[in-house]
Amino acid sequence: MNEPAASSVRYQEATKRYGNSSTPAVDKLTLEVPAGEICVLVGPSGCGKTTAMRMVNRTVEMTEGDILIGEHSVRDREPAQLRREIGYVIQQIGLFPHRTITENIGAVPQLLGWKKDRIRDRSAELLDLIGLDPELGDRYPAQLSGGQQQRVGVARALAADPLVMLMDEPFGAIDPINRERLQNEFLRLQAEIQKTVLFVTHDIDEAIKMGDRIAVMREGGRVEQYATPAELLMAPANEFVEDFVGADRALKRLALMRVRDINLWEAPLAHVGQASGEVRAKLAASDVEVPFPLLVDGERRPLGWLSERDLAADVVPGRPDSPLGPVLELDDVMRDALADLLQHETQYAPVVDHAGRIAGVLSVEIISEFLASPEAKSEETPAVERPHG
Amino acid sequence: MGSPLLLAASGQVGGDFFKERTSDTLPCQAKPNEPFCFDWAKENIDRFGTPTVQHLELVVISVLIGFAIAFALALFAHRSTWLQAPLLAVTGILYTIPSIAFFFLLLPVTGIGKDTAIVALAAYTLQIIYRNTMLGLHNVPDSAKEAARGMGYTDRQILWRVELPLAIPEIVAGLRVAIVSTVAIATLAVFIGGGGLGTQIYGGGNLTFPTSVFIALAIVVLMAMAFHLGLLLAQRYLTPWRNARAI
Repeated sequence: MNEPAASSVRYQEATKRYGNSSTPAVDKLTLEVPAGEICVLVGPSGCGKTTAMRMVNRTVEMTEGDILIGEHSVRDREPAQLRREIGYVIQQIGLFPHRTITENIGAVPQLLGWKKDRIRDRSAELLDLIGLDPELGDRYPAQLSGGQQQRVGVARALAADPLVMLMDEPFGAIDPINRERLQNEFLRLQAEIQKTVLFVTHDIDEAIKMGDRIAVMREGGRVEQYATPAELLMAPANEFVEDFVGADRALKRLALMRVRDINLWEAPLAHVGQASGEVRAKLAASDVEVPFPLLVDGERRPLGWLSERDLAADVVPGRPDSPLGPVLELDDVMRDALADLLQHETQYAPVVDHAGRIAGVLSVEIISEFLASPEAKSEETPAVERPHG
Repeated sequence: MGSPLLLAASGQVGGDFFKERTSDTLPCQAKPNEPFCFDWAKENIDRFGTPTVQHLELVVISVLIGFAIAFALALFAHRSTWLQAPLLAVTGILYTIPSIAFFFLLLPVTGIGKDTAIVALAAYTLQIIYRNTMLGLHNVPDSAKEAARGMGYTDRQILWRVELPLAIPEIVAGLRVAIVSTVAIATLAVFIGGGGLGTQIYGGGNLTFPTSVFIALAIVVLMAMAFHLGLLLAQRYLTPWRNARAI
């Protein structure tokens, strides 16, 4: 990638009034999004969040006030020219059905008059960045899954290395499992590209997960609170925000934690061919936290859980009785990890590092203990860190 | 129907034709109940060459003119939506005028000859091409248009690079229907001296010799099928994304 290029976005009393309506859709919005951060505009439908976002690329023209990208007012620009410098991702994706994936990604570079070779190289680079097989470049959108199409939508928005990205409920039409995956991928991507992102959603959980800052909006386009996710959860500015954030604030804070932020359990490890007696001895130790041995390979990568029956043989078998179940990563968001455990109806899941080596075991018990602990209810800012790399 | 004056003016159905028919050189011609006279067909196949070329000319020129006008109207109506209903009504009315009546209505204006035929035939294609072009533009997904606008496509770029390419299937479908019906209606051009294969069917007002009618009809059908297939192939070539299968 090139040097990360991003600009701040500053709303200065930006107002949008439709027709002669007495109540504005967006009322004197003043907000600063620092360069390289994700700002989520969240609120109930009709709160003006999409209107507020679309005033930035002038797909909605503001009535009064101004918006600055870096030091430049969007009002001073030709709308079409302005939009080519702003990435745009919409919920319906809007890929061009008649263009190949490569051509779709190259749409804005083509408008900017890039040479064909450069467009092709850039498309290939972006396909790689979003983790799609380069062979998909010659396909048409209808040949891709919904999740793949939305990744292409993001790649297309990034093609001309925009200063700002606008994302309008980008994952709203994706099924929950793929949505979570796309959210994680985007956060990983963002750690690398560090764009200024305006992200619209009506889903507070998504807002908490995605936002560096969150603007909670209500009808009439007013911002009720503009804060980091942790601040929002711990100190809601007023009743509206408190209601909107919901009663399960402690649970929501799991969305701000990574698996690595909590003390994991250690499982007794077993290797293929190891004497069963040794493993049984480990299990019998008084300080054992997980009552089942975890079978790992030579690289300490988990293979499966061993049952009583497996240990009946003299040596540890290569094929464990119980399946491995979900495998979590240290960078997984805690809330998603809990969801994984619950979904698989399992008490334990091995946690691995980047290389896939065992780093510990997460259990439902660890999480419930955390939720009950004073730490979870404290006013201190929990570790909110974006995964890097 | 069909005055001797018009017949003479057409120039295609000369006195020769009738003379030949009455001559005794070929046996089966003399028998009026004979459905198809192969000997005559073999001897006279050459006489269909010029009418076929004329027919092609009538069809291609009228459809091209009709397409140019209907397409332009559709683009206007696409921009100014208030034009849509009146244009649909006007082209619809043109479409309902019976062909023969249309030809004779035009006679005082464009006179005898193929010009009158072309004007009428072109007018018939307007409705089909206009309506299908509008349908094609209407069917373009809003999300593609919204994305294009948000990415910095100008209105003109959205039209030519997104909407029209995506409307190709409907536009070509309209052209197919228009061209096939024009091939058929063009057989009536003979009544206002427009030439074409009608000369071998009506012979200037009355149905001519059945063998000649059959051959002319076969050529008409083949021509319509050839256009139909040709456009189908052209559409497949122009819209590769529609043939791409999920893998």
